[in-house]
Amino acid sequence: MYDLIVFLVLLTLGYGFGRVAEARHFKSIREREQLLAPVLAFSERLPPPSTTARRVTLVGGNVVVSVDYFKQVAAGLRSLFGGRVMAFESLLERARREALLRMKQEAADLGAAMVINVKLETSSISKGSKGQVGAVEVYAYGTALIELS
Amino acid sequence: MTSYENRSAPEGINYSQDHPLKDFGLLLLAALGGLLALLLVLSALAGAMAPLIPFSVERQLAESISSQFPAASLSGTQQQKQEYLRNLTRELVAQENLPEGLELTVHYMPGAIVNAFATLGGHVYIYEGLLAEMPSENALAMVLAHEVAHILHRDPITALGRGVTVSLALASVAGVANSSAVEWLLQQMGLVTVMSFTRDQERAADARALEILQAHYGHVMGAESIFAVFMAQEHDGELPEMLRTHPLSAKRVQAVEDYAEQHEQQGILTPLPEFEAAAEERSTTTGEQQ
Repeated sequence: MYDLIVFLVLLTLGYGFGRVAEARHFKSIREREQLLAPVLAFSERLPPPSTTARRVTLVGGNVVVSVDYFKQVAAGLRSLFGGRVMAFESLLERARREALLRMKQEAADLGAAMVINVKLETSSISKGSKGQVGAVEVYAYGTALIELS
Repeated sequence: MTSYENRSAPEGINYSQDHPLKDFGLLLLAALGGLLALLLVLSALAGAMAPLIPFSVERQLAESISSQFPAASLSGTQQQKQEYLRNLTRELVAQENLPEGLELTVHYMPGAIVNAFATLGGHVYIYEGLLAEMPSENALAMVLAHEVAHILHRDPITALGRGVTVSLALASVAGVANSSAVEWLLQQMGLVTVMSFTRDQERAADARALEILQAHYGHVMGAESIFAVFMAQEHDGELPEMLRTHPLSAKRVQAVEDYAEQHEQQGILTPLPEFEAAAEERSTTTGEQQ
């Protein structure tokens, strides 16, 4: 019975904090996407043909997001049935967009208006260790084209 | 010059905008429902097959776990009482066709607990507290016959079979569900499902006990008095019938009365033998002296 109470408290805390944090994060992501809209990002390997001579440098943005207890339980249940793990989908969406934003932020700080050859890498931390809340890392990187002053 | 732009990321494609609790609730319901159905089927199968286990195997099984109930060292009077209980049981089942290899062993347990139970290997335990509450030999015979009936119906091995199967199933499901939280939930469910005898088994044992009494004494008088004893024990907080393993005492009394109406009742109540009365007298006299 004591275990059940601990479990329910953890679940409620995970749900409450996770939900608030997610809503806040999405809001902040949308705002910063508007702010950083002038910095363009392309997956294309080469710059547009019209581009004049630029200085190039590697820029990257890295994010680690943790799974909350509620998402963990929800995903555990999902693993019984299969299907969309909605609990993790929103988590990874946040991580990807945040990583891109951080990359763009770095590019903007360097005075670049464009990042080409953008790639995303992802890896999970504490993968496979039981009873531990997992976290996911997303790394976005690319080549920033900085105008010659 | 060509102009480029990054359009803003589309919302609601990569992730669902449904409320997460809706998804969670559906999953939980489906998981629990599925699990419950699985457990019910397995438990029913195990219950149907467990009585096929030979009694000799059950006996061996009981010996391997008998350390749970170490044989109490009994004083002279207590041994006398145990002997009396064993003789009474032997007389009661004399008319029954015991299955081959079935052995009944009655144990007298010192202790104030008003209880009696039957367990694996044909062992019946009667507590001192219960014996002290019995108004007549017929009432005591009803208790003994009820416990013997459990053993004749193979209820202990059925309960064990169900319990083992259910916990095994839960353990396997926990292995599949790759999450500690799910595993933990399953463990909790396992605890709930481990119950003693079902109410149907109790009803069947009552019915069989009445047949045994009728065959032995020619009547079932005094049988209903044990329920008064149990009712007195249960005075605090009556649980609704759904949650109890024994049917409500009132219903069991009714069953005894119905049986008595349908069968010819001839004879008188048999009192308990002297040692019981003597022991009580002694305790009352010491009580007065103090």
